[in-house]
Amino acid sequence: MRKFILTLIILLFSISIFAHGPTPQKVQESVTVNVSPAKAWSVIKDFSEFKKIMKTRSFDDEIMKIKYELLKADVPFSDYNAYIIVKKGTNDNESVIQWTARFYRVYKLNPPIPEGQDDATAVAAVKNIVGPGLANLKKALESK
Amino acid sequence: MITRNKKFILIVLISFLLALIYFYSNYYKVNPKAYITNQGDNTVSVVNLNTLEVIKTIEVGIAPLGITILNKKNLGFIGNVGTDDISVIDTRTDQIIKTIKLNTAPLSLTSSPDESKVYVTDWFKNNILVISVKKMKVIDSFKVGKTPSGIIFNEKYNYLIVTNRDSNTVEVYNKNNKLIKKLATGKHPFGVYTKDKYFYTANVYDDTVTVIDLENWSTKVIKVGAHPYNILTHNNFGFVTNTIDDSLSVIDLKINEEIKRINTGETPENLDLHLELNILVVTNWGSDSISVYDLKNLNLIKEIKTGAQSRSFGDFILQ
Repeated sequence: MRKFILTLIILLFSISIFAHGPTPQKVQESVTVNVSPAKAWSVIKDFSEFKKIMKTRSFDDEIMKIKYELLKADVPFSDYNAYIIVKKGTNDNESVIQWTARFYRVYKLNPPIPEGQDDATAVAAVKNIVGPGLANLKKALESK
Repeated sequence: MITRNKKFILIVLISFLLALIYFYSNYYKVNPKAYITNQGDNTVSVVNLNTLEVIKTIEVGIAPLGITILNKKNLGFIGNVGTDDISVIDTRTDQIIKTIKLNTAPLSLTSSPDESKVYVTDWFKNNILVISVKKMKVIDSFKVGKTPSGIIFNEKYNYLIVTNRDSNTVEVYNKNNKLIKKLATGKHPFGVYTKDKYFYTANVYDDTVTVIDLENWSTKVIKVGAHPYNILTHNNFGFVTNTIDDSLSVIDLKINEEIKRINTGETPENLDLHLELNILVVTNWGSDSISVYDLKNLNLIKEIKTGAQSRSFGDFILQ
């Protein structure tokens, strides 16, 4: 009986990895910092706070863009993919750092959607990572 | 004298008639246009492909995604995932002329070559809905495999072809809605295209494209970029949107290999062509824009800001 339940749980879990609903959600936020783009870029690539929650998928030094997958488990969203790009600010010592996340809600099947597994919960949770994440990055960059 | 007055009146009448004809022909002149479904702000951006400007923003239902354009009938059908309905647009005036209520979320749409029917994939209930264009309502439905995603009509064989995203298969239906063939694809097949005897689908999780010969059912797999979403072909070249690489893969179909990669906007999802203007249009979900490329040299002509989370899954250009 236990084996059967275990198999069922594993099956359900593996199905959930590969399926998602039809509407990807988007969170895109920016922060302006008083450091040069080159400086911002070098710090971002190694920023420990990001490394704790996201794994680097690829990066492009020329356009200063880094792509991430999620490391953190047990989150109320799924299929998370994000990229951070550093753009020039209004002067040489200013940069605009933009973080864009694409993800889906947890619940993949036909509505009605159980509480805590809907689009709104997913969006709120990602905003809660991106907002403070960018704020902490700004603090770290401008304190040096 | 009477004759001169009559002549004068005749000239005025004819001029008025000519002016009327000119006015109406321009009013109803349908410029080549692209219709972009913006899933994030519940609108459709109408882009004039001659001037490359957004000329109108139409408010549709919630979370519009799929689209199909009926060129002969001057109609656009847009599926709204959030409100379980279809907005029908008259492409001469860009006004909504009808909202067709469904009892389910529509994912993608395609039309029969004679434009008498529109087929809709019912994602959650694993159905295909058949809409009569004349009656503007659902007249039939039939069960298919799990999570039907992309749908397209192959004219050569009169096949309706559907990708089943979560079972990694493609199903081929004949004109009587009967399943005649089921084939394995790569992981997570999504966007679809068909031309002559070939069918193509992008396997999102495998970073490949599957090509199926509809005559002998042989399959080929071609490696492309990261998380490809959709594909189309033109003159022995295939074009694939790589949503994570932010690029377009160019495939040489004579050797079935990727030969070039071109930068796009962020998270490019879907694509369509205008043959006369010789351009390729890509929708960029991440940059809320579309990128317009010259088909001859694949140079970027312009990136145009549209609405939030531009997608347009399906065919979205009015020829």
